[in-house]
Amino acid sequence: MGNLRRLVLDVLKPLEPSIVELVQLLADLEGVDGVNISIYEIDRRVENAKVTVEGHDLRYKEIESVIEENGGAIHSIDEVAAGRVLIEDVITPQD
Amino acid sequence: MGESEDPRGRFAQRMDDVREYSRIASIAEIARRYFAMNAFDGVLTTIGIVMGNYISGVSDADVAIRIGVATSISMGVSGLWGAYLTEAAERQRDLAELEKISLTNLGQTKIGRASRLAVAVVALVDGLAPFAAALIVLIPLFVAPLIGNILISYVLSLAVALVTLFGLGMFLGHISGRNLVGYGLRTIVAGIVAIALGFLLEP
Repeated sequence: MGNLRRLVLDVLKPLEPSIVELVQLLADLEGVDGVNISIYEIDRRVENAKVTVEGHDLRYKEIESVIEENGGAIHSIDEVAAGRVLIEDVITPQD
Repeated sequence: MGESEDPRGRFAQRMDDVREYSRIASIAEIARRYFAMNAFDGVLTTIGIVMGNYISGVSDADVAIRIGVATSISMGVSGLWGAYLTEAAERQRDLAELEKISLTNLGQTKIGRASRLAVAVVALVDGLAPFAAALIVLIPLFVAPLIGNILISYVLSLAVALVTLFGLGMFLGHISGRNLVGYGLRTIVAGIVAIALGFLLEP
């Protein structure tokens, strides 16, 4: 199987543990080169986060387990990229 | 951030976990509140016991100690049970609400564990604080044979109670970041009022 290089996840998580902790826990995983978490909606108890993980060999199960262990729920996988080269989404005239 | 094989590393990891759980469930803040409130209760109740013994003319230190220790044990059990039941109910409700919002079972996550740790810590603090505070006030009665005069032991017990109240007040002052002595004096006034009201019962 080709190595997973990028994952963009839509995650609903409680306010605590904070994204500062979550981002560091994800960054510590093997095969991960960098992580970005941005909040696009915030509620009284929970927040919606876009989690972008990039690396040379991401392990989805481990990433999922760290997110769940911290109370998060993955609502959708919005983007994935795998292989030797990181391919960006191509804009076509239809877009 | 994986599990360490070294016992010291494992201990450090556990301490990190506890700190994280404390942050998630605001354990330190709640435990601090329970500690101050219940230690205060413990001291004032023991002032009542000492005053009751003095007014009733109890001259046997053993009797006063038994009454005092029995009361402090009851206060400890009451604190432990009461805090466990109320805190567990509140935390379960809170977790259930969060689970409902996030549509996730959080029992086996950090949040669930932090919640369970909070219940245990708060129950322990709530039980031990009045128990320990009461025993501190009773120290002059424990050493009554050395003092030789039960009246002096009673006076010393009341003095220890006031000093303990002052200490608790300073602790609250430290938390609020305000004047330590001011807070200490305010808590002492509660002790003086309890002693004064106790004297009203004198036959």
